[in-house]
Formats: sequence, structure tokens, C-alpha cells
Amino acid sequence: MIARRSPIVQLGVRAATTLALVFAVFAFFAGHNRPGGGFAAGLLLGAVLVLRTVAGLSQPLRPVPTLAAGGIIAAVVALLPMVWGDVALDQFEVETTLPLLGKVKSGTALLFDLGVTAIVVGLVVALLEGFGAEQLAGPQGRDE
Amino acid sequence: MIWLLLFHLAASAALMAVGDRLGRWSFAVAGAPMSVSAAVALEATITRRRVVDTYQWVEGLDLTMAVRLDAFTSLLLLLVSGIGVLICVYAAGYFAAGTVGVGRFAATLLAFSTAMAGLVVADTAWTLFVFWELTSITSFLLVGHKRTDAGARIAARRALVITASGGLALLAGFVALLDVAPGARLSELESVSGGWATAAAVLILVAAATKSAQVPFHVWLPGAMAAPTPVSAYLHSATMVKAGVVLVAVASPALGETGVWTPLGVAFGATSMIWGAVGALRQVDAKLIMAWGTVSQLGLMIALLSIGSAKATFAAVAIVVAHALFKAALFMVVGEIDVRTGTRDINELHGLRRSMPVAFVVTVIASASMAGVPPLLGFPAKEAAVEAALGLQGGERAVMLAIIIGGSILTVAYTTRFVLGVFGPSTDHSAGHSTAVAPARPMMAAPSVVLALATLGGFAALGWVTGIVRGASVVLDSKAEVYSLLRWPGLTDAFLISVGIVLVGAVVGTALAARLTGPAPRTLGADGVDTAIDQVVVLARIVAARVQHGSLPGYVLTIVGTAALAASPFLWSFDLGPVYGWDNLGQGVLAVFVAAAAIAATRVRTRLGAALVLGAIGFAVTGLFVAHGAPDLVLTQLLVETVVVVGFVVGLGRLTTTFPRIGGLWLSSRLAVSALAAGATAVALVASSGRLGMSPPANSVTHRLTEEAVDEGGGKNIVNVVLTDVRALDTLGEVIVLVVVAVGILALTRTRPDEGPEFEPDAEPDLVQPESDVLVVST
Repeated sequence: MIARRSPIVQLGVRAATTLALVFAVFAFFAGHNRPGGGFAAGLLLGAVLVLRTVAGLSQPLRPVPTLAAGGIIAAVVALLPMVWGDVALDQFEVETTLPLLGKVKSGTALLFDLGVTAIVVGLVVALLEGFGAEQLAGPQGRDE
Repeated sequence: MIWLLLFHLAASAALMAVGDRLGRWSFAVAGAPMSVSAAVALEATITRRRVVDTYQWVEGLDLTMAVRLDAFTSLLLLLVSGIGVLICVYAAGYFAAGTVGVGRFAATLLAFSTAMAGLVVADTAWTLFVFWELTSITSFLLVGHKRTDAGARIAARRALVITASGGLALLAGFVALLDVAPGARLSELESVSGGWATAAAVLILVAAATKSAQVPFHVWLPGAMAAPTPVSAYLHSATMVKAGVVLVAVASPALGETGVWTPLGVAFGATSMIWGAVGALRQVDAKLIMAWGTVSQLGLMIALLSIGSAKATFAAVAIVVAHALFKAALFMVVGEIDVRTGTRDINELHGLRRSMPVAFVVTVIASASMAGVPPLLGFPAKEAAVEAALGLQGGERAVMLAIIIGGSILTVAYTTRFVLGVFGPSTDHSAGHSTAVAPARPMMAAPSVVLALATLGGFAALGWVTGIVRGASVVLDSKAEVYSLLRWPGLTDAFLISVGIVLVGAVVGTALAARLTGPAPRTLGADGVDTAIDQVVVLARIVAARVQHGSLPGYVLTIVGTAALAASPFLWSFDLGPVYGWDNLGQGVLAVFVAAAAIAATRVRTRLGAALVLGAIGFAVTGLFVAHGAPDLVLTQLLVETVVVVGFVVGLGRLTTTFPRIGGLWLSSRLAVSALAAGATAVALVASSGRLGMSPPANSVTHRLTEEAVDEGGGKNIVNVVLTDVRALDTLGEVIVLVVVAVGILALTRTRPDEGPEFEPDAEPDLVQPESDVLVVST
């Protein structure tokens, strides 16, 4: 309803989406050496997804699969080292050289962070949609 | 050995999944692992093999799963698994084709058998405890198998509450025992004494008494007869109720020397032996006669084991074997009679001698064994018990002789009454020649015949049985090596006493058979237990209604108030010394702004205004972090503020635009708690900042974190390295909490008011016993 009343909101949210996506990806990968990380990326993504729902730009994300995926990723990364006898959550690192980016170093901690991100996105969406974001977007939901 | 238990578990899980499609064939699947166990146990019994198998779970905490197979445990495992196989055959005959829930039943039965097998072979206290609790739970499921039957559910609940309370006593008892006998394997426990040992002795005996249905904890056992008869025959005669006996046997070497062990154990055993037999005499339901008889027989075993003399231990082991064989057979026959005639009331049953000849012969053999008549296995076992009592001194001798003679006379009496009532001619001549019976069910008859043959064969091969029983007793008490079960003891005192018992008992039983025809009294105390359980439920509802009142401001007030109180210890370390204004002027300006905005937040009347002011505070705090030089906090705070703004965008539309006016007590209590919280926060902040200015000591973890972040964690951002590597386990825990919170939110918000709650407290009258007036708590 807000959306139909206000093209400004729609336009603003659309612009914000791109910005937020870029920044979330940046924060996610930068996290290991600079401010950022999975939690920050999750918050940002979650907020922008809810805004899009409010503005009627997209169907609401279903939080349960997101939460489940995040939990499974985190748990698998945590437990996998135990399979070959290491302690739980032992890190495994790779270092490689990619085109454009140069030397890239990464580890299983990044995967673990991915799980955290998914869970935070799920939580934010569940929380804000609990307030009724879906109804706010109007009965037909998506109205582009 | 552990693989065997795992095999059991896997089969049980598989049956749980597909059992209902297999129908009665699921008993074949359930019987397979039990057969393997029985074969392993038989092999170990014959070869006198000793196997110990361990699996260390947590190093350093002494949490080790250990199982052992020696002469004692292999004999018990043989009984548990062997009778289990027979029960599977029996159950396949008991359930009619196409009965619903047969697969579930078979799976639960197998799960129980797993728990029981684990319990008897357990060699550490924790292993035994875990399997002990598993038997309680599986027993609960089996007693309540007919889940639409309110009586069965109440009985199952009563059994669970009593046996699980005993489980708690067992846990406490083990804690006390391991405090004085630390880390020892159950098979290597040494005699201990002192206060903790006494506490352990009492708790472990109470646990054994709840499981083995000893007076006054016996009230669950008659109720548990609501279970299908295969369950009664397996759990409530041959196996689970023996768990208490096993526990007393295992703990006896350690706790036998404490002053309370023998008196308390004998007191439990003696009252149960007599009261159980009296109960059996008063029942008219054949299954209940057997159940009360079991209470009585278990009392004898507990009393003998807690006496602690080698001879008594030997006799107890012999009775455990004999009892498992004859009591399971009797239960099977009662179940067969029930299925084929439609009743278990011995006043209605008569003349089955002709129409059910096989059941009659089995009953005579099993009953005679129970009464201690030669040439059956029960005879030498009971002889051994009388001999053991005669071998004691002073008061113990008098008490044991009295309960064995008294209890045995009553046992013979109720056995006689049962056999006469069911198979003898009708007392009421107007009724027909004999009760009408449905066609024979060979699957039900065969297992009881096997058990009857075993009872006969046990006497025939008494030398072999003696060897096994002696081997098992020696594990518990090395002095038991010299005793034997005798086929013909000669005209000893014990033999004469036995003859006297059988004669007097038979006369009493025949005399009472004609007189005791009225309805049976209700189990004394059973209603009390149910009432107590119901009252606890009522109390829980009252407490829940008070605590979970549903007022959000109330919850917030409670949480904030508690947090404020939690900060009170900081008052003792309150020190204004190291407090100073600011590092740079920006912080001072921002702090003033935050304070002003906070005051404004309490003054605004509209919700949108409050949201704006709160946002301002949030961003000012972000500014404080910037001024302090904490980029990680800045980013996180900014993002949290963003999410909060989105939350307000979404949520404000559903609320009134202005705050509701409040006043009076509510306003003043809010103000009081707020003031308290503000004070507490200030105190806590000052107290915790007292350590500022000191640089961390040289060996502090702070230095190590800085040094090792790059090498170990692979990152330069220490905060994130801590989150994803150093303390990643904490993070894992935290994100799991987040998942739980999200699930909670979804559960709350997806319940639309028009759907209504799924659970209505008043809509469960079928859980309430019809004649009980306790649960009428409609509010």
C-alpha cells in the first residue's frame, strides 16, 4: 500500500538495494582483515530484503529455509574436521591467485561466516516480517 | 559388545520407520537382534568368556561407556534376550492380523530390549544410568501403547513418574558413590563407608525399589498391566522389574558394609514379599494376581541380595533364573486365556482344564515351580533361599525365615487359588461346564511350552544350571563358590520347612478360593499418586498463568529489573578514582547530545517522535564509537540502527500514533525500575572501567591473540578472527541461539488471532480419570 502511494519509496529502495548488495558482499569478504564480516553482511541483507517486501518489489523471503541452510552450513563446517580426526572447527586455508584480484587467501572460516550470514538474514526477515511487512505491501504483495 | 547394542538400536529405528507396513512380520525383525544377543550370551555363559568393551566419550571427564560380559552379566543377558525372542513369537500370535500400530509396538519392544541388554552389561555407573532411564522411557511407551485408552495412559504416566523419580535417586546415589569410590568400574567397586556411602546406599536402594516395584513404590506395577500382555510378560515379570535386583547385586559389594544397606534392603524386600502376596490373594483378575505375585517374588530377591551373605546371594541368583522362566510362562498363559475367552476374571473362568489342555499343563508346571515343588527349577532355588536364611544369625535369621516361610505360604496359596479358579470346576453350578474358548493360537502357546520345558529341564540338568548360577554368584561374592543347587537335599530342616510351606499354602489357597469371590480392592496408594501428579499439573498451570501473563511491558520490566539486580555486586568494587571526562572533545559533545536525546525520548508523546529520537541516540552512540576509534563497533551499530529503522517503518503502522496514557502504580513502578536500571548500569560501567589504564600483563591472552590472529586465524581483524576461529564454538552456539529465536518469532507471529491457540488446557478431559474429581479446573 505504501508502495502504491509512494513511488519515491520504490525508487529509493531500488537504489538502496544495489548499494546494499555491493556493500554486503564487500563487508562479507573484507571481514577477515577489516571491519565487516558475516554478521554485518547478514544484517544489511536482511534489512534490504524486508524493505523490498515493504515496497512491494519482491515476494517476501521465506525465512525457514534460509535459517536451515545457515544452520546446516555452520554445523557442517564445524563438525567436518572431526571426520578426519581433527578437533571441531579446525581451520582449513587455501591461498590462490585469481585474475583481477591478485593473491587471495581464504579459509573454511569464510564458509562458517556464510552460515552465520544466512542465519542472521533469516532472523532479521523473521523478526521484521513478524511485524507484518507482508500485509504492509498490500494483499497482492508484489505490485510492479 | 557395543556393536551388538548398536545393531539393536539400528534395527529398532528401521522398524520404527517401516514396521507398520510389515504388520506382524515386524516381530520377526525385532526377534533377529535379540536372537543374536541371546546367542552371544549363551556362548559367553558356556565358555565362561569375559569380555570388556569400552568407548571413551569425553577424555578427562571420565565419561566412558563400558560394557562387560562375565558369568553374571551373560546369564542376565541370556534371560533378557532369550525371553525377548520368545516374547516376539508370542506377540506375533497375540496381535490379530491387521492390528494398527504393530510395527510401532515391535520397534518399541526392541528398543526396550536394547535398553535392558545395555543395563545388565553396563560396567560404569553412567552407562548403567543411561540404560536405566531408557528402560523407564520405553516401558512408559509400552504401557501406554493403547494410546486411546485413558486408563492405559494414566497407568503409563504413573509408572513413568515413579520409575523416573527413582532414576533421579539413582543419579544422586551414583554421584554420592563415585565421590567415595571415584572412577571405579562397577565390577571393581570396593567396599566404602562413611556419610556419603550411607547416602548412596539409601538412594540406590530407593532407586532399586522404584524399579523393582517394592512397597511402597509398587503402586505402578498393577496399573502397568494395562499394557498388552507380551509387555507384561516381558517387562513386568522377567526383565525390567529385575533391573532393581541387578542394581542391588552390582552395588552390594561396595555398599554392603554401610549400616543402612541390609536393614533397608530387607525392610523393602520383606514388606513387598508379604504385601505383594496378600495383594495377589485379593485380586480376581488373573493378570493382576501375577503382577502382585511379581512384587512379592522381587521382594524375596531384594531381601536376599541385601543380606549380603554369599549363600543368600547364590540363592537370589537361582531365584532370578527360576522366576524369569516360570513367571513369563504364567503371564503368557494368562494372555492366551484372555485372548481366547475374552476375560481374565477368575470368578468367570472355570473348567479350562479340558478346553485348554496345553495351557493347563504349562500352568501347572510353572505354578508348581513358583510354589517350590519338585521336580522343577523353582524347588532347589527356594531350598537355597531357606538354607540361606537358616545359615544366618540372630535377628536376621528370624526375620528372613519369617518372611520366606510366611511369603512362601501365601505364594502357594494364591497360586493354588489361581489354578483352581481358572482350570478347576465352576463354583457356581448353574453356569456351563466350562468357559467357552476361541480356537487355539499355536504362536501363543509355543513360547510358554518352551519356558515350561526349560523349567523342567533346569531341574533335570541341575548340575549344569548350578555351574552357571554359581559362576554368576561368584562374580558378586567370591565366597559363593562352595554352594550348589541340590536335586534331593535329604530330610534337612530346609526340606521339611519347604514341605510344610507347600502343604499349609495349598490348604489355605483351597480354602480361600471358595471365599474370596468379591471384587478386588483398589490398589492402596495408586490414586494418591495420580492425585499428586494431577495437583502438580494444576499448580504448574497456576504458576504459568501468573508468570506468563502476556503483558509485554510487564515482561520488559521483569527483565530490566532482574538485570539491574544482577549488577548489584559491582557496588562493592565501586571506585570513582579512574573515572575521567573524555579523550577528546568530540566525545563530550556527543555524550551531552545522547543524554539530551534520552531525556527527550521520555517526553515525546507520539510513537514516530520516539522512534526518531531513539534513532538519533543510536547514531550519536555510533559517533561515540567513531570518536573512540572502534571501526568494528561503528559498522555493527550502524547496521543495527538501520535494521531498527526498517523495523519501525514496518511496525509503526500497526500501532496507535500516540502512547497510551498511564498513571498510578504502573507509572511509579516503571519509574522505579528505570531509575534502578540506570543506577545499576552506571555502577557497573564505572566498576568495570576501573581496570582501564592498566595495560594487560605480559602473558595476557590479549597479546597472544594479536600475535596469532594472522598465523592461526588467517586474518588481521582480531574481532572477526575471534568470532570465526578462536572462539568459533561460541559463535556456533550463538548462531544456534539465533535460529531458536527466529523459530520462536515465527511460531509466535504466524499464529493469527483468528486461528486460536492449538492447545486448550480444558480440552483434554480424556487425560483425567473419570472417577477423579481433581482435574476439574475449568477457569
